[in-house]
Amino acid sequence: MTEAATATGVVCRETLDARVAVSPAWLADRRTAAWDAFSAMPAPSSSRDEDWRRTDIAKLHLDRFVPAAAPTRELVELAQSRQAAALPGAALVVCGPDGTVTVEHAESLLAQGVIVSSLEEAAVRHPDLVQRGLSGIGIGESYFVAMWNALWQGGVFIHVPAGMQAVAPVWIGHLAAGGEQASFPATLVVVDDHASLTVVEDLVGLPDPTPRLSVAVTAFQLGEDARVDDIPVQQLPYETWHFSTRRANCGASAHYRLFGATLGARLQKAYWDVILEGRGAEADVFAVCFADAHQHIDHQSLQLHRGPDTRSNLLLKVAARDQAQSVYGGLIDVEPGAIHADGYVVNRNLLLSQGASASGVPRLEIKANDVRCGHGTTVGHVDDEERFYLMARGIPADEADRLVVRGYFSDVLDRVPLETTREWLLSLLDAEIGDGGGLEAIEAAP
Amino acid sequence: MSEIAEEARVVAATDEGASPTAELHVDGLRVSVEGKPILDGVDLRVPVGQVHVLMGPNGSGKSTLAYSLMGHPKYQVTGGAASFDGQDLLALSPDRRAKLGLFLSFQNPIPIPGVTTVNFLRAALRAQGKELPARDFIARLGEEMTALRMDPSFRSRYINDGFSGGEKKRAETLQLAMLEPRLAILDEPDSGLDVDALRIVADGVLRVMEKSEGRMGVLLITHYYRILENLTPDRVHIMHQGRIVDSGGPELAHLIESEGYDPYISAGSAAAAEVTSR
Repeated sequence: MTEAATATGVVCRETLDARVAVSPAWLADRRTAAWDAFSAMPAPSSSRDEDWRRTDIAKLHLDRFVPAAAPTRELVELAQSRQAAALPGAALVVCGPDGTVTVEHAESLLAQGVIVSSLEEAAVRHPDLVQRGLSGIGIGESYFVAMWNALWQGGVFIHVPAGMQAVAPVWIGHLAAGGEQASFPATLVVVDDHASLTVVEDLVGLPDPTPRLSVAVTAFQLGEDARVDDIPVQQLPYETWHFSTRRANCGASAHYRLFGATLGARLQKAYWDVILEGRGAEADVFAVCFADAHQHIDHQSLQLHRGPDTRSNLLLKVAARDQAQSVYGGLIDVEPGAIHADGYVVNRNLLLSQGASASGVPRLEIKANDVRCGHGTTVGHVDDEERFYLMARGIPADEADRLVVRGYFSDVLDRVPLETTREWLLSLLDAEIGDGGGLEAIEAAP
Repeated sequence: MSEIAEEARVVAATDEGASPTAELHVDGLRVSVEGKPILDGVDLRVPVGQVHVLMGPNGSGKSTLAYSLMGHPKYQVTGGAASFDGQDLLALSPDRRAKLGLFLSFQNPIPIPGVTTVNFLRAALRAQGKELPARDFIARLGEEMTALRMDPSFRSRYINDGFSGGEKKRAETLQLAMLEPRLAILDEPDSGLDVDALRIVADGVLRVMEKSEGRMGVLLITHYYRILENLTPDRVHIMHQGRIVDSGGPELAHLIESEGYDPYISAGSAAAAEVTSR
């Protein structure tokens, strides 16, 4: 990366310097080390990097993205209305792409001793906790994580002290940048021993015909016997390059559950990692993805079993329409100490159009004895018989497809523990499926 | 443009639902499946208010006729005409045919995982413009399920998913009862049922007939005489090699019960005529 190429873009030394200037020393050092690592690293390549083989980002030009402006009132209100519809009663954190953070309705949590604040602020006030929160994220572990480590701003930090059951869920609205701008969403969550928390992370934006960049990291640290329900919703505008890493490190007997919905972005590359460190740690990951038009949605999951008696289960159900492509790679990695590990990974794909495609490659790497692991992947179509049966009852073809897809997603959505959130997710999916011919709509746009 | 006009016509026809003279007309219908001719010129009239029975040996084309009338994309109409209440069926998609008043009870309905029976029925009623307020709908559904001796848990089971053969037949009959069509094509609603289940399904169909007060016609495809003890036909048609080769009153079904299709199979239509005249 030459100076000339980055001089006008946000991904540049000047941005780093500006971030360093407002960071405490420990964070400034971390940012600088991350920048050095990033600068020395080539961008991922579909010809060189195995996990990028099916996702080509050769057309991503970082220098075209400038620093994000403050969010519009319309966008802030959109984020607020989503929370109000899906999870009334939650504390609300709204993170603008420019680093502005507002916290609302968190009084009951704060009274409990739970910290809900901007990450920048927490880095100053609670350096030890924030460093613990970041401890699972390597400074230069990958190109986009290194970029994020150097350049994130704003962000959310949540800490639930030992033994505390958070009295309210926290809804985090990360607002996408405008066209030709970049944002670096950041969420760090530390849940101490015997504590519990529910988090919704909603990535949302307003449609804009020009591309934007989103590079996100979300990290959870679960202490012994901690419980976290994590509900990530990605509904970024269509013209978005989205790169994210989501990682949960789980202590002994901790239980991390993820209920996800991936709906937006033109191109997504998301890593979902669960690291089961302590004895008896458990993780359940259930997610749905609906892709249409020319979306290219890539999920990579890791279920890393380190401790003995650890259990993990992942189910990702994808439906793809038009020319959309789904790519999935999943690894269950059982380290030598993880005896009696129990891991399962399944990826199901439903194709709604001839032009849609999906590939799923789950893998197992087992270095311990006496483990139980399994994987599976399927690709299917809405077949003529299903469609005809529904049509024979008077249901038009597009509605028939919607019913079938809704049914297909139901075994994931039925597990979402919060009823209003489940209904809201269903309504998002219905709207995504129902706008029918997303491709036509997009191609018809000026 | 023409599609809008067609929609308006369909709606108009549906509004005249009470039309006592509506009739299914099938004229010289020819149908192929994957290029192979199955129906070879079928002629048939089924007026509302009547029960017509279609019998015939396996492979004679009975189910093909049923699917073709409902508009399954696999069945390619290569000739002839089919209309209901003056509307050209062949120009309509299956959902439009259903809105016009056609109903097909499937011989082996397909499961749709994740779609509960109750949601499926509501979606169908809504699509046909027959949506009921939630409370009325639940009451109606409960009533029909009780009549069909279906367990209430059925409502939240995924439609046809893991249903036994008998449960599928009852679920199809439940849909018939809830949707109140003007022409019900029942493709072997009695196959694989024991005597008790058969009676429940037959009574269910009869109940819908009676409730319709002469506004529903039935085209019943069956192999068995037994169901006709409950549902007395007005006409019986015999199909062989893709054509209706004989038609008559209920006595014709009797004859088939005792003598089988051999006369039709061995001698063709000349013998068939002779059988009828006996």
